[in-house]
Amino acid sequence: MSTDLARRPGLDELLAKALHRGTWLGSSVIALGLALPMTGWSGDSSAIICTRIVTAGIALLIVLPVLRVLLMSIVFVRERDFRFSAIAMLVLAIMVLGSVLGVISS
Amino acid sequence: MHAWSAGWLFVVSIGSSALGGALGMASGIFIVPVLTLFGGLGIHAAVAASIVSVIACSCGSAAPFLKSGLTNIRVAIVLEVATTLGALTGVLLTGILSVPFLYFLFAAVLLVSASQMMARRHEILGETDVSNLRDWATVLRLHSSYPDHALGRDISYRVRRVPLGLALMYGAGLISALLGIGSGVLKIPAMDTALRLPLKVSSATSNFMIGVTAAASGVAYFVRGDIDPVVAGPVALGSVLGALLGARFLMVVSGNKLRLFFVVVLVALAAQMLLSALGIHLTGQAA
Repeated sequence: MSTDLARRPGLDELLAKALHRGTWLGSSVIALGLALPMTGWSGDSSAIICTRIVTAGIALLIVLPVLRVLLMSIVFVRERDFRFSAIAMLVLAIMVLGSVLGVISS
Repeated sequence: MHAWSAGWLFVVSIGSSALGGALGMASGIFIVPVLTLFGGLGIHAAVAASIVSVIACSCGSAAPFLKSGLTNIRVAIVLEVATTLGALTGVLLTGILSVPFLYFLFAAVLLVSASQMMARRHEILGETDVSNLRDWATVLRLHSSYPDHALGRDISYRVRRVPLGLALMYGAGLISALLGIGSGVLKIPAMDTALRLPLKVSSATSNFMIGVTAAASGVAYFVRGDIDPVVAGPVALGSVLGALLGARFLMVVSGNKLRLFFVVVLVALAAQMLLSALGIHLTGQAA
């Protein structure tokens, strides 16, 4: 009987890839937003656009762990491990509650 | 005056994160004091900016740990229920707790980090025959194994006292949200002593959990508009690059002199934060 459910190279690999690529994507978007003003690009709203690009990169980085939990939840469902899928959904719900809390207290 | 121009923030973050990375710590523990003490930023603004870099560093460094089979993702997701709840509590408390109290708390965490750096972690052995079939770890099937490259075989381990671990993780999540740090300094001892995970497994699993913990408060701070992209952008980018450098640095140098040097740095920062708590600002001025 195998009790070692925690070792799953497939899921490890999937999460590693998602987190690695996501971090690079978010960081690259931030870098783009920071580098654009240095290229001498200027327009009516160039500063606002650059700040928005940086904000988008930051949002990508913040959403990355949320997506990681969602991904885990989906994989657990597919493996019919409903208890762990429910635990992952609970973590997801707490994170969503965090954004609701942010809206209320803003 | 913007003492914290993008270039300055970027360079400082690379340095802070490389330092943290070389010590196996999250960058926040250095970034928040640097931003408040030398950047003239208020602690709330520094915490919000730091939390983004904490997420980025955790996600960016998770891959090698996952691929090496050290991260126990089942333990991580179970404990994340507690860390995210703690983080939400932190978000609620951050507006209520006074600024001097936050400086005090930060100073305390810096001192705990310093003492941990001095005391070497060691595996707690014994009680291997606890075969309670109804404990949480068994019911949730958290027991696992990890590949030990030195021995060339898999080492199996059993997970203990999950409820105690959950309680400690709630506290770690709370501190993480309040201070904008990864709280690895609290997570790792909780895993070593409560769950009795092997050292390499608790380091990898803690690092993996830090991103989700920080994201729970990060989402709230982002939606609330606490995260200033002008500050958080360069800090996050610098931290990711610094963490990469730090990991390389870790492989080249790791000796007792280095540890001692960082203990001195941590204690000095703690003293500065303590002075800030008392309203004395030697450098810059916090808002």
